[in-house]
Amino acid sequence: MRVKIRITVALLSFALTACKKQDSSEFTDTPVIESYLQPGNVMNVKLSRQIPFSSGVNYSADDINALSVNVTCNNVTYPLTAYGNGQYADSNLIVAEGAKYNLSFTYNKKPVTAYTYIPAKPQGYTQSVTQIAITRMDSTSTPMAGGFTMPDPVTLSWTNTDGSYYIVVIENIEATLDPIRDFGNNAPPGNRFKKKPTNSTSIEIRANEFQYYGTHRLILYHVLPDYATLYDDNSTSSQNLTNPSTSISNGYGIFTGLNSDTLMLEVKEP
Amino acid sequence: MKKIGFPLLALCLLVHLAEAQKECELNAPGNACYLQFVSYTADGNYSLDTKPVVFELLKPGESPMEAYTKDTIKDLPAFFNYKFIYVPNHGTTAAEKLDCISSLVSLVSFGYSRGKENLFFLVNDESINSQDVKAAHLTGVFKTIRLAIPAVKAVGAVAQADITSDFKETVAVPDEDEKEETSVKTAAADEKAPQKTYFGAPKTFDYTLSGIVRDAASGEALPFATVQIKGTTNGIATNTDGYFTLVKVPSDTATLVIQYVGYQKTEVYLNPQLPKRNLLIEVKPSSQMLNTVVVEGQREDIVLSNKEDISTIKMTPKKLEQLPNIGEKDIMRSFQLMPGIGASNESSSGLYVRGGTPDQNLILYDGFTIYYVDHLYGFFSAFNSNALKDIQLYKGAFESRFGGRLSSVTEIAGKEGNQKKFNMGGDFSLLSANAFVEIPIGKKFTSVVAFRRSYQGYVYDKIFNKFNSSQTTTSDQPSGGGRFKQQSKAVSFFYDLNAKLTYRPTDKDIISFSLFNGTDKLNNGTAAASSANAPSSFSTSSTDLTKYGNIGSSLKWSRKWSSKLYGNTILSYSNYYSDRDRSQERTVTNAAGTAVTTKTGLFENNNLKDYSFKSDYEWNIFKNSQLQFGGFATYFDIKYTYAQNDTNTILDRHNFAVLAGGYVQSKTKFFDDKLIFLPGIRISYFDVTGKPYYEPRASAIYKLTSKISLKAATGKYYQFANRVTREDILSGSRDFWVLSDGNKIPVSSAIHYVAGISYETNDYLFSAEGYYKKLSGLTEYSLRFNASPEGVDYNENFFNGTGYSRGIEFLAQKKFGKFNGWVSYTLAEAMNHFAIYSTDDYPASQDVTHEFKIVGLYKYKRWDFSATWIFATGRPYTAPSGAYTITLLDGTTQDYFTVTAKNSLRLPDYHRADISVNYKLLVGEKRRDIGYIGFSIFNVYNRTNVWYKQYSIVDGQIIETNVNYLGITPNLTLSLKLR
Repeated sequence: MRVKIRITVALLSFALTACKKQDSSEFTDTPVIESYLQPGNVMNVKLSRQIPFSSGVNYSADDINALSVNVTCNNVTYPLTAYGNGQYADSNLIVAEGAKYNLSFTYNKKPVTAYTYIPAKPQGYTQSVTQIAITRMDSTSTPMAGGFTMPDPVTLSWTNTDGSYYIVVIENIEATLDPIRDFGNNAPPGNRFKKKPTNSTSIEIRANEFQYYGTHRLILYHVLPDYATLYDDNSTSSQNLTNPSTSISNGYGIFTGLNSDTLMLEVKEP
Repeated sequence: MKKIGFPLLALCLLVHLAEAQKECELNAPGNACYLQFVSYTADGNYSLDTKPVVFELLKPGESPMEAYTKDTIKDLPAFFNYKFIYVPNHGTTAAEKLDCISSLVSLVSFGYSRGKENLFFLVNDESINSQDVKAAHLTGVFKTIRLAIPAVKAVGAVAQADITSDFKETVAVPDEDEKEETSVKTAAADEKAPQKTYFGAPKTFDYTLSGIVRDAASGEALPFATVQIKGTTNGIATNTDGYFTLVKVPSDTATLVIQYVGYQKTEVYLNPQLPKRNLLIEVKPSSQMLNTVVVEGQREDIVLSNKEDISTIKMTPKKLEQLPNIGEKDIMRSFQLMPGIGASNESSSGLYVRGGTPDQNLILYDGFTIYYVDHLYGFFSAFNSNALKDIQLYKGAFESRFGGRLSSVTEIAGKEGNQKKFNMGGDFSLLSANAFVEIPIGKKFTSVVAFRRSYQGYVYDKIFNKFNSSQTTTSDQPSGGGRFKQQSKAVSFFYDLNAKLTYRPTDKDIISFSLFNGTDKLNNGTAAASSANAPSSFSTSSTDLTKYGNIGSSLKWSRKWSSKLYGNTILSYSNYYSDRDRSQERTVTNAAGTAVTTKTGLFENNNLKDYSFKSDYEWNIFKNSQLQFGGFATYFDIKYTYAQNDTNTILDRHNFAVLAGGYVQSKTKFFDDKLIFLPGIRISYFDVTGKPYYEPRASAIYKLTSKISLKAATGKYYQFANRVTREDILSGSRDFWVLSDGNKIPVSSAIHYVAGISYETNDYLFSAEGYYKKLSGLTEYSLRFNASPEGVDYNENFFNGTGYSRGIEFLAQKKFGKFNGWVSYTLAEAMNHFAIYSTDDYPASQDVTHEFKIVGLYKYKRWDFSATWIFATGRPYTAPSGAYTITLLDGTTQDYFTVTAKNSLRLPDYHRADISVNYKLLVGEKRRDIGYIGFSIFNVYNRTNVWYKQYSIVDGQIIETNVNYLGITPNLTLSLKLR
C-alpha cells in the first residue's frame, strides 16, 4: 500500500514538475575587471571573462582584447591601449595620490563603469624591531627538548585617524629561499604572506609565521573599503549564494586605488 | 469466543428497529444455541461497556417481543441505565434451557469491563431451581440470580429482597492505587468509566456549569480539553488553567463528554447533588496497561485537529514517545508531521508554517516568548517534552489575543507537577540524558524540575561532524609551525532546564512561577602552546565557539473572579543570547614574566531582552457569548555587535522599544450553537514609529451537521521584531534579532485568508483547508561589506520586499484503535519579491510544492510500533552562473561566484522513512507502567537527501558538491518513571 502511494506521489510530482523549466542557470557575459592603482604606476587595467558554470553558454561577440576602454581624470579622458591578454594601459597617465579616476567601456551592449581614488600614503609607519632571531628546526629537533627561545612578535604600527583600512604584506626578497623549518612532505610555502585588512593602528607578526631566513619587505598598504570587501567571507553554498559585492556597475572585480609604505626586516639564526 | 461474537453483534445492528429495543440473533439457524432475543435499554445507549445487564429467561412459549412488551421491571427508574436481554425458553430439560445462557452472556458482555459485576439473571421459568442453576455453572457468571420459584428467589451473594435491591448496580469502585491486579485479564478493570448513580428526575434546567478538568493521576489541570453535553453540539474548551464554564446545560442530569488528546474519552453523569460551580472532573491517560480488551472511546491520537477550531493542532507530549525520533522525542519534530508544516528541513526545529519562516511563528512558553528553539544546528528543539503538558499550534488566521507575529502561534504549557504524589523519572538515549522530578509540597504547592543534557556520544557527533566536516577552514597563516601545536578536543553540548512552582492559595487563585533555560555550546576550537620552560613563551588558541540560548521566566496569577469572569496576569522576562567567537587568541609571556593577550577574528554578539506584562480575561457575558479582552506591554532591548578583533567593533546596534496595546474579541454562538463567530480587534502602539497598528480579525465555524463543519477566517497581522540571518558559510549562518525602525527595517505585515471543511466521526477525521497569505515589509540582511571606495555603511545592507504564500492541505486521520495514524498532503507555494534579487517574484527558500506524510501507529500487547514516511518536493536554491578569480596584493587568489535568478533551481525531492518500536515496562502485580525501552531508526532506507550544494573552482572549472542530510541513524532510548 505504502509503496503504491509512494509511486503515485512520485509520478504525480514528476508530472507536475516535468514541464517546469529546469535549466535556469542562464549566463550573462559580464566582464571582470582587475586593477590596482598605485601612485607612480602607469594606469593599467586587466579585463577578463567569467568562467561559465554550464557549458555551451553564449558569449558576447565583443573581443575582450579589443575594447574601447577610457579612463577619465580631472575631466580629461584617456583612451587606454590594448596590449593583449585583456591588458589595457596608458603609459602617459601616471597615477597620482589624491586623484580620482573613472573607468568606462561598453561590453555586451552595456556600459561598464567604475570609480576610485588614490588614498594618502600611510603615515608614521614604524616597526618594533629591525631583526628577529629564529632557531632553525629540522626533523631532528623537537620543541619539547627545550633550549630554544621564541622571540617576541614583530609589531608594526602606523597612524590611522579616520578608520581607514590597512593591509600588511610580508615578502621575502632573497634570491634563494632558506627555510627555517623542514616542510616535510608539504609543498614549500610562497615567499609572501599577508595579514587580513584591518582598520586599527597596528598588527603583530609572530615568529612562527616566517618561513624563510633573510631580508623581508614589510609593505603597508592603505587600501579602500572596496578592496577590504574582497577578504570578506564569500558564500560557496547554494543556501545563500548571492552576487559578490562590487563597486563596478555592469561588471565584476576590483578597480581600486591604494598607497603604500615599506619597512625592512631581517630574519636570522640566533 | 471472538469468532462468533462479531457476527452476532453485526447482526444485531442489521435488525435494528425504529423502536428503542433491538431484535437480535445468536448463531445461525440450525445451531443448538440458535436464539432470537430482544435487547432493550431505557436510555438508548447500547454501546456503553459498563452497563448493568439483566438477562431474563422467559416462560416456556413466550416470545421475546411479547415479554418485552409486558415487562414492567424495565420501566422502573432504578433500571433506567440497565440493559435487558429477553431470552426465549427453548429445550425441555432445565439443562437444555440453561445451556445457551453462558455463551449468550459471554457474547453480550463482550468487551464488558466489569467482570461478573452487574450481570443479573432473572429466571421466569418456574421449573428451574437453584440446583439447576448451579449445575449449569451460572452462579459464577452472574452476580445475582432471581428464580421464579417462590421458595428460593435469589441465588448469590445478595440476600433475598425486592428486585431493585437484588439487581442493584455496584457503583463503588475500589481505589485504583490500592487495587491489586492479579492477572492480565482483570487489567481491563482499570479502564472503567464513571457510573451513573442517579436515576431521578432533574431538578435544575438550563443552567451554567463551571468546573475544572484534571489528570486523574497527577492532578495536573488540562488546558484546551473539550467539555461537551452528550448528544448536543453544546461544548466548550477549557482555558489554559483547565477551567471551563459551560452555559445552557439543559438539565442537571445531562451527560458530559470530556475529550483530551492522549486521554480517555470520559463521560460524566451530572446529578442534582453535584456542584454547579467548581465541578472537578478527572480524566485518565489512554491505557498504558497491557490490555487485551479494546476499550471503546479510548483516544489513541497523538496530535489532533479539531472540528471546533480552525487551523489548530493540539498535541500532548504524553504519547509522543510512540513516534520515531533521532535521539529525543520532540514536539517541534512531531508537528512537522502534520499538513501545512514543512517537514523536509532537518536542520531547523523552528517551524515553517504555511510558507512562513520560523521567526514568524510566535512561541509562547508559559506566557513568555521564546525567540530561538534550535539545539545542535536545529536537529533538536529546545523543548524537553518531559516538562510539557500541552501544546497548541495555530497555523494561521489566529485570534486577536495573540500578536506580534506574521505566520503562526505555538502555545506551550509547562507541567505543574503531580499534585498528589512525588514522582520522578528519566530518559537515556544515545544523544542525551533527561531527568525530571515532581514534588507536591503540602496541599497548595506543586513543583516540577526537568533537566536534559546532551553528551558527545554517537548521535551528537554524527550531527556535529556533519555540520563541521562540510566546511573548509581557511587560514590566513601559512602552514608550518605545526610543531608547536597541541590539539585538544573541544567540548560541545546542549542542555536545558525547566522548572515550575505552582501555588494555589484558594480554589480561585493559581500563582505559578516558571523558568526555562536552554543553552548550546558548539566548540570547534584548538589550542597550542610552546614549551613551558623557555624564558619567553607563548600560547595560542584558535577558538571557534558558538554559545547561544534562552533564559525565560514568568510569574503568572490566574484568578477565577466569578463563574463568569476568569483572568490571568503574567509578568515575564525572556532573553535570547548568541555569542559567536571565531578567533585566534594569543598570549605571549616575555622573559620578564609579563603576559600580553590579543585576540583577532570574528566576534558576534546578539542579546535580546523582552520584558512583558500581559493581562487576559474571559468573560461569559451572555449565554451565547464569551468576551475575551486584555492588555499587553513589552519593552524590548536588543543589542547586536559584530567585531573583527577585540578593539575594533564594526557594527554596534542597540535598540529599545515599547510595544503596548490591547485586544477584544467575542466568541458568540448562533442558530442553536451551529455557528460560532469570533470577531476581534487588536490595537498596538509601537513607540519607535509612533504609530498605532490596527489588526481586525474574524473567524466563523458553521456545523452543517454533527459531523461536517465549514470554517473560514481572516485577519491582519503585524510583526515588530524580526530575525535576520547573517550568512556565514565558513562557520554556519547565525541568526540575530533586530527591531523595526520604521525606515530601513519596516514593520512587517500580513493578511491571512483561510477556508476549510472537516468531516469528523468517532473514528475518523477528514479535513481540507486552503489558505492565502499576503506579506509586506519583509526584511533581509546581508552583512557583506558594502563595496564603495568611500566607506562602509552596514545599515545599507537591509533589503525590503514582499511575498505571498498559498496552499491547500488535506488530512485523513484514524483516531482510534490498535492501528491508527494519519495521511496528509499539502500543495503549496511561497513566493518572495525582493527588488535587490530579482524584478520578478521568486520562490522563497522554504517553498515546497508537494508534501506528503504518512504516520502509522500500531499497538500490540506491550509493543508500540510506528512508522512515518515523508515526501517533499526539493527546496529551491541558487546556483552560480559563472565565477571569476581575483589576484590579491600578496599574490594569492580568491574565487568569486556570480549567480543567476534567485532560487530558480530545485534540489532533488526529499523523502525519508522512520520507524520505531517501544516496549512497555510494567512492574509488580499491579503491572504499573514505569516506562519503556524504545528503538528507532531514522531514515531507514538511508535516502541521500541533499541539504545544500557547495561550489568551488578547480582548474578553471566550477565543481558542484552535494552536502547531504543525515543517513540512516538508529537510536535506543530507555525511559523510566516512578508513576
